[in-house]
Amino acid sequence: MAVHRIFLVASQTQESVEAQLHDAANAELLTRWEREWVPDLERAKQQLAAKNVPRAEWPHDLHWDWRKKLAYYKGLLGVETFAILCLERLQGLMMINLTKDARLAEQKGKPLVYVDFLQTAPWNRVDLVGSRQFEGIGTSLLLAAIARSEHEGFHGRIGLHSLPQSEGYYRTKLGMSDLGPDSLKQQLRYFEVSPEQARRLREEI
Amino acid sequence: MKTKKTMTLNLTDAEMTALDELASAKDLTKTSVLRQALRLYQMVDHRARSGDKMFFENDASKEKTELMFL
Amino acid sequence: MKFELTREQARKIARLEGDAVVGAGSPAFPEGEQAGISVVDFTSELRLAFGRFVALMRRNRRMTAEKLADQADIDLSELLSIEQDPHYVPEPRTVYQLANCFKVPEGRLMELAGLAIVRDVGFAQEAVRFAARSESIAKLTEEERSALEEFITLISSAK
Repeated sequence: MAVHRIFLVASQTQESVEAQLHDAANAELLTRWEREWVPDLERAKQQLAAKNVPRAEWPHDLHWDWRKKLAYYKGLLGVETFAILCLERLQGLMMINLTKDARLAEQKGKPLVYVDFLQTAPWNRVDLVGSRQFEGIGTSLLLAAIARSEHEGFHGRIGLHSLPQSEGYYRTKLGMSDLGPDSLKQQLRYFEVSPEQARRLREEI
Repeated sequence: MKTKKTMTLNLTDAEMTALDELASAKDLTKTSVLRQALRLYQMVDHRARSGDKMFFENDASKEKTELMFL
Repeated sequence: MKFELTREQARKIARLEGDAVVGAGSPAFPEGEQAGISVVDFTSELRLAFGRFVALMRRNRRMTAEKLADQADIDLSELLSIEQDPHYVPEPRTVYQLANCFKVPEGRLMELAGLAIVRDVGFAQEAVRFAARSESIAKLTEEERSALEEFITLISSAK
């Protein structure tokens, strides 16, 4: 397991704060998820219920059980988990799969890093608490996925199924290719980054 | 720890050709192809042991044509 | 793998992200975990709906249990267990035969019978509702007939 040095921007002060990107999950990270995220996620669910927001309109990732996800894929070479820690708290988690192929026409049949799950800590989510403590977590993890793709010889190719509230960001700000809703994934929109798009993103940032 | 061990692999001409062709088609090095094959085999084995079955589905007809046994 | 982000890069990323929520991944999970609801919660209700469905389909065709068992080429005692015992787990072949007999998609009937993972929470909820609407096993009432017809449409329009 390696720890990589990154920075995040603190929303309130707009100062950059040093953070750590871990490229493997361990028991400690899972404990952090349980202790630091789960209570806040439960509270968020209670608030949504109290406001009578229909369940179908809740962000669909609130119930994700990272302990179960990690247990299911334990020991598999094709699945890796990344985490970002900042100021001794877990800020973001990402699970990637190395066994999938690209769907973009020009990239068909070539392997990519598929982002299975990408989630930011509840206190960093505008859609849950209306504000954030740190900015840049999701994008930093995606850049790590691109770097992992390059490291593996996949030339920066990545793919993911977007949370509905993230679609605009992937399409417009990151310039990812939108391959449309996927009937095998509850109609979530599937996005991909080609080697050329990966190169452009790296140059931009 | 990510320490690496070295292994020497003897391949037949046919195996080497297949490896070359896959590397070319997938834009990967031969080593990457073998790593990917290992990941896939392990993943497929894991799913099969969890009770999942693996089929080939024809894209056009949506017909499940072949059950893969491991 | 070598990876790092500088302060300057972090600022560029933050400007790019703005207020966006950045996340990815589906609500479901390999073992059938559904959005906020465990599939296990539904199994007994689904089997209840299955038993009711079979019973109502049979009665709607004015068949005795023996006649249906014969026509579907299934075991009579199994048919009776399906209709009467909500905890009974049917044989896959029996479900398959009933699906063909009633001309409904076998995949859906398998899900209802608790033999396949239900991936569509909407379907599971509709099945539970059907079970509630079709409560009494007597002559098919207008209510029951209408509930049955709606459910047949739903089950047949599924993938």
